[in-house]
Amino acid sequence: MSEFTDPITGADAVGDPTAPELGVPQPDVPQRDAQTADRDDAAVNKTGTTTVGIATDHGVVVATDRRASLGGRFVSNKSVQKVEQIHPTAVMTLVGSVGGAQSFIRSLRAEADLYEVRHGDPMSIHALSTLAGNFARGGPWFAINPIIAGTDETGSHVYSVDPAGGVMADDYTVTGSGMQLAYGTIEGEYDPEMSLDAARNLAVRAVAAASERDTGSGNGVVVATVTDEDVGIETFDETDAALVA
Amino acid sequence: MQDNQQAYDRGITIFSPDGRLYQVEYAREAVKRGTASVGVRTDDGVVLVADRQVRSPLLEADSIEKLHRIDDHIAVASAGHVADARQLVEFARTQAQRHRLRYDEPIDVETLAKEVTDYIQRYTQSGGARPFGVALVIAGIDPDGTPRLFETDPSGTPYEWTATAVGGDHAALMGYLEEHYREDLDLDGGVALALAALGETDDDDALDADSVEVTTVDVESTTVRSLEADEIASHLAELNLEDDHE
Repeated sequence: MSEFTDPITGADAVGDPTAPELGVPQPDVPQRDAQTADRDDAAVNKTGTTTVGIATDHGVVVATDRRASLGGRFVSNKSVQKVEQIHPTAVMTLVGSVGGAQSFIRSLRAEADLYEVRHGDPMSIHALSTLAGNFARGGPWFAINPIIAGTDETGSHVYSVDPAGGVMADDYTVTGSGMQLAYGTIEGEYDPEMSLDAARNLAVRAVAAASERDTGSGNGVVVATVTDEDVGIETFDETDAALVA
Repeated sequence: MQDNQQAYDRGITIFSPDGRLYQVEYAREAVKRGTASVGVRTDDGVVLVADRQVRSPLLEADSIEKLHRIDDHIAVASAGHVADARQLVEFARTQAQRHRLRYDEPIDVETLAKEVTDYIQRYTQSGGARPFGVALVIAGIDPDGTPRLFETDPSGTPYEWTATAVGGDHAALMGYLEEHYREDLDLDGGVALALAALGETDDDDALDADSVEVTTVDVESTTVRSLEADEIASHLAELNLEDDHE
């Protein structure tokens, strides 16, 4: 709370830098206590997931699997789209609780839109990721671990955002339960000058490897390609079908 | 009838029958009573110059602050109630830091100007409040390197200018700036124009280095810099302003 109040509403006139501008939970809504949380936990859809983001000089590629699971032992959905456009040239992946991630995406999309109409230009990917980190740290979401990937005036960027609000930029990054398998595929193969097609094939192969061995990942792949102009998202039932020659 | 007139004269939230908000207009009068501040935008950066009225030789001239740094790359000048200006300055500083906390980037000048004017506007639409009796000139460099110059007025309307003045002698200052502003001014040329405008219209004593404040925000360093007294004196000497009245 700042020292400045809105004379009409009495609310803080500056605003919490870590809170979403819209859709903040009302403070009078009772928080879930530990016991209720335990009971509900078995019913919470998790993405398990392997999501991969790779930045190249020509744009970024994001590939995600399509499986949602309950407790990692039951496949509750076989066609989840875990990568969504949130910005004219950026996408975000859903990792963690499906409800948390979906709500997070809606909020970040609204913030990015508001920023763009107010400033006249879209947010930089760094600003977008910083905001996402602030929300993850101080906001009402829990158990999310997304990748934010996109392009701006300074080039191609991939960021991971962890549940405690850690924001880290990298050339390529993987989050979700299949991350070790996917990283194994990418290590040694990545080259910042690789073509967008080569990056796409590498990302798809990483998701395919994780889908083979990680019970939380599988059921095909969704590929998002971001250039400095736009975002394309394609869905494939089989990972092989997503590879380009 | 008499009662009604008094009601809309006094009430900030009440329009007069011809659609005016008298309290806002009175606040503009408070701005006119203040000593002038001038802003000039050039391709090399933005200049703010404030006329400082030192009413007693016992007063420490530096304690009259009309130019304020908001962030590394933004400064404001004020005219009108200094105490009101300080509140807006603190609000602007807080907003600039909030933007850094939220997005990890410096705020752009237009966004800051609009945050401030939106805040001012709230004080024209809430019962029991008094409008801010101050106008600000906001100068800064956008993160992409573009110099920007904005004005806020007590109604909460933002304006963008190439050169402008707020406070006393407003009409004369604007007339001078309109006549002498050139798009190819460099930063020193901007300082000279702003000082010349004040020198031309100042009806009492001559300008001297103690009676004006000069701050620049230049494109190259994107930082706010207050000119030292000797720098101001040499600008004034070049303009032959210092000796005119002596």
